[in-house]
Amino acid sequence: MDGSDASLLTSDRTSGRQDPMRQPQFIRSSTFHWALAVSAVFAVFVIVLFGFIYWKIDDYLTARSDRVITVELDGIAGLSPERRLEAIDEKLRQDPRGVQVAAIFAADGHRIAGNLESLPPHLRIDAPAQGTDVVRTDRNSREHQVIRAIGRRMRNGDVLILGRNVDEAGEISHVVGQALALGLLPGFCLCLLAGAWLSVRAQKRVEEVNQRVQRIIAGDLSERLPHRNVDEPFSKLAVIVNGMLDEMETMIHALAGVGNDIAHDLRTPLTRARLTLERGRTNAATLEQLQAVADKAIAGIDQSLTIITALLRLAEIENSRRSSGFGDVALHEMLREVCDIYEPIAENKNIALQVAVRHRRSVRGDQDLLIEAVANLVDNAIKFTPEGGKVNIELLQENSETIVRVTDTGCGISEQERETVLRRFYRSDKIRNTPGVGLGLSLVAAIVKLHGFRLAIHSGAGGRVEIVCPDSQQA
Amino acid sequence: MAKVLLIEDDSETAEEITAELSDRGFEVEWSANGIEGLDKARSSRPDAMIVDRLLPGMDGLTVIEALRKEQVRTPVLVLSALGAVDDRVRGLRMGGDDYLTKPFAVVELVARIEALLRRPAESRETTLRVGPLALDLIERTAKRGDRVIDLLPREFRLLEYMMQRSDQLLTRAMLLEEVWNYKFVPATNLVDVHMGRLRHKVDGPDEAPMIHNVRGAGFILRAGS
Repeated sequence: MDGSDASLLTSDRTSGRQDPMRQPQFIRSSTFHWALAVSAVFAVFVIVLFGFIYWKIDDYLTARSDRVITVELDGIAGLSPERRLEAIDEKLRQDPRGVQVAAIFAADGHRIAGNLESLPPHLRIDAPAQGTDVVRTDRNSREHQVIRAIGRRMRNGDVLILGRNVDEAGEISHVVGQALALGLLPGFCLCLLAGAWLSVRAQKRVEEVNQRVQRIIAGDLSERLPHRNVDEPFSKLAVIVNGMLDEMETMIHALAGVGNDIAHDLRTPLTRARLTLERGRTNAATLEQLQAVADKAIAGIDQSLTIITALLRLAEIENSRRSSGFGDVALHEMLREVCDIYEPIAENKNIALQVAVRHRRSVRGDQDLLIEAVANLVDNAIKFTPEGGKVNIELLQENSETIVRVTDTGCGISEQERETVLRRFYRSDKIRNTPGVGLGLSLVAAIVKLHGFRLAIHSGAGGRVEIVCPDSQQA
Repeated sequence: MAKVLLIEDDSETAEEITAELSDRGFEVEWSANGIEGLDKARSSRPDAMIVDRLLPGMDGLTVIEALRKEQVRTPVLVLSALGAVDDRVRGLRMGGDDYLTKPFAVVELVARIEALLRRPAESRETTLRVGPLALDLIERTAKRGDRVIDLLPREFRLLEYMMQRSDQLLTRAMLLEEVWNYKFVPATNLVDVHMGRLRHKVDGPDEAPMIHNVRGAGFILRAGS
């Protein structure tokens, strides 16, 4: 018995807990909650507004009725005692609605004329108009009424009381209440409806976006988010995200291309090493021959490793966000240092390497990386310049920009090749036979980009590459 | 016989390193994880340690930090994956330790371990002497016997570094890092060109050569033939 009870209770409770889950989704959405909150605030505001209006009108009507009875009292008080009685009778006769109260009492308190049973106990005589509790004679059940009244003692000792029932206030509150119901309820419902509609609409769009995103996650990179007109925030957001997706699609395709290049460039030396080892294993007869084979194979593997090292270095620079390690780099000193290091190499090739520094300039940057970039440029320049040529390193100041320029008398870069030289592994056909892995300029580009500088490659006879540092980057 | 503690989780790499170092006359102890390695470092007091950056149990750098806190000043060579060289790893060289990125050549590893074991002592000597070579660090002059050698500043720096580490194999990477302060390997054979010029000046035509090229590895400055 107990057990079944408990199970019943449990099932009840679970079904109760599930209930909110069955609510339409929009009721749980934040848009709807916001609409609900705004409606509530709106309702409170309207109620306060109507309350204020009611209070003000009531105040005004009371003040007006007070003025009227005060003026009338003054009028009646100015008459002779007999005329007063007539005036009171006259006044009560002309009041079919029975809102007027008028009475005159003798000094000992008994009623001389009028529709008040007795002198109101709480009414202060000779004071301004005030609210007071009275009992009237012209009503069936000697009911108590709260009215506005004023009382004054006459010269002969009689007390004259004039009053007015201000029941209009009740009527006003009724009207105000009606207006409130008429304005507030539809307004509140409208708010809720709008909230629900907006919420359902947003939910629908989110669902739509979700479906598209799921497709993108599944690998359909060409899918884009829907957008209608550009002036709507949701559409604006969709346009922004689509822009991002465009960029990512391009990058992923570029990456795939790089992957193919890497595979090719790695496969070549590895294939060579494998062939050498295979042939060596069968053919080598002496230890010396085997060692020669091993040396050749190691050289092939080393070349693959060089490529991997360069790629990882590139990735490291591209991914590094460390500008915290930035300091002031004295470019003039750095260029002299690079020149100093490369001088013997240039000399061996009978190339005149010169550095021309007209200004002493410093930029904010990573000293090691900047040396690497400039050294790469100089290295390239020396490599691609035929014997007897010239390589110049210059530090210039032009249009509020600091420029490191490396020029050579080599074959230069053609207009068509300008973009492609920055591509990983790109090697011009003209230099197919010069050693290298074709990552140098990509590295320089990555370093320059990390610093917020610009790499300018000029086409035409003779190579000319510049690292342009905008003035804002200067220390 | 110098004792080297190797903390490396890949057993094949560890075997190769152990075999090579043993051939060169080192006594090698091997641990496959950081916690055990730390215990061994405390108990057996090696002369040098080779520590892999990524270890099961305890990160390689954490092992070193723990030892340093206990005032154990054993020189360490950290092996790090190429992509994982961060500021903490770079900082090792400042503290007198060293790091090497995987993959590396075995000769490079051995050269660096020997360099760590024979760290030049802080010397107040103002003149370095190796065999007939004399380098005056104040006057910035070099002499071989009575012959004055005319050196460019960069050649002086190179010779000074080599004389402080005579009879030691110095690899190209070590020279680039220490003499030229290069943090990368340039495409051109920079070191060979500079070394060729220095050798030309140090070893006269009728003198016994002092700077020796070790094929595929680096250079050694030897006092006598």
